[in-house]
Amino acid sequence: MGLGFGVGFLGVLILFHAAYSTIQYRALLKITEEEFSGSPFSVVIELSLGLLLCTWAALTVPGKFLCILPDSEENRIVSLPVNPDFMIFNHRGKLFPLEMNAKLRH
Amino acid sequence: MVTKTEESQLKNLEIQVDNGGGGAWEFLSLVRKLKVRRSDKVLKHGLSILNDPKQRSTLGSEEWTLYEQVAVAAMDCQSLDVAQDCTKALRKRFPESKRVGRLEAMLLEAKGSWDMAEKAYTSLLEDNPLDQIIHKRRVAMAKAQGNISGAIEWLNKYLEIFMADHDAWRELAEIYLSLQMYKQAAFCYEEVILAQPTVPLYHLAYADVLYTLGGLENLQTAKKYYASTIDLTGGKNTRALFGVCLCTSAIAQLTKGKNKEDKEGSQLHSLAAKALEKDYKQRAPDKLPQLTTALKSLTLSS
Repeated sequence: MGLGFGVGFLGVLILFHAAYSTIQYRALLKITEEEFSGSPFSVVIELSLGLLLCTWAALTVPGKFLCILPDSEENRIVSLPVNPDFMIFNHRGKLFPLEMNAKLRH
Repeated sequence: MVTKTEESQLKNLEIQVDNGGGGAWEFLSLVRKLKVRRSDKVLKHGLSILNDPKQRSTLGSEEWTLYEQVAVAAMDCQSLDVAQDCTKALRKRFPESKRVGRLEAMLLEAKGSWDMAEKAYTSLLEDNPLDQIIHKRRVAMAKAQGNISGAIEWLNKYLEIFMADHDAWRELAEIYLSLQMYKQAAFCYEEVILAQPTVPLYHLAYADVLYTLGGLENLQTAKKYYASTIDLTGGKNTRALFGVCLCTSAIAQLTKGKNKEDKEGSQLHSLAAKALEKDYKQRAPDKLPQLTTALKSLTLSS
């Protein structure tokens, strides 16, 4: 969790830095009166690195992914619950009382 | 609904608790969450928590939930003294509660004093005529007394008001099945499937009912529902695989001589048979010969 947050924060920082360097680069171009055709190569590398880190953090921080397939082990229903609202006590268990002398003590 | 993971989790916890490995509270919580019926174990381990003041105080307000759970389990095990003590403790804590009133009426039911229980439920219903659980308790009471037709009547009245209650539809279907009224049961299962279309076991139950009813159309529908069960369980439900095989052979028997075979059906049949053989090879190799003879007799008869 902490690691994920750290990496995400780093990624955002890198993205901001990339934006800042692009602005700087454009200011420089204005001085030298050249046309802006694209960011320099190092900024593109920085940008993709930041994107990668941010994506990784976004996928790990919120938690584990749940399976959506109906036949996966987590989702496959193997037995129905008893209907507790319709539970009846007049059953054959009555004839075989538990041999337990447990009592509620207070 | 109990999924595969939850089932194995419950099994592990049960073994652990039975061997004194601790985790009794987790076990009881899981039993409550999954709504499984383990009354004897709930009674044993729940009482040991309740009798230990130290453990009880760590539960906080969950303590009262445990009292209720243990009370119902005690009724199920006919340990009426324990049930009475738990109910009394709850009554002391919540003097005005309707829920405790319901528990007291259930205790009367467990004692077998039906008239008094009926009176208690009637007075509870006067205060709140739309209390679903009390309506259901009356159905259960009729069933417990052996008055099945009365239970059906109550349940039908209840379902006229609360049509979206799929648990009640399921109960009605099961009651109809116990009376071998398959057409009515099939209708109830249709309602259940409409309410919860992703539960494979309802598809399976519906298919079973249709197969039992028989007739070409029903058999074809049954086969479709067996197939949808296989779809939803990823082919891990043995009963559905067998169902497909049985339906295919029954359909073939009915349409014999008419020479109207669909190739798709036979393919489904052979695929199901293959899946069955694979499953048996993996999990019960010594039963494999029996399976192959059974499958052979099915294909021979068709």
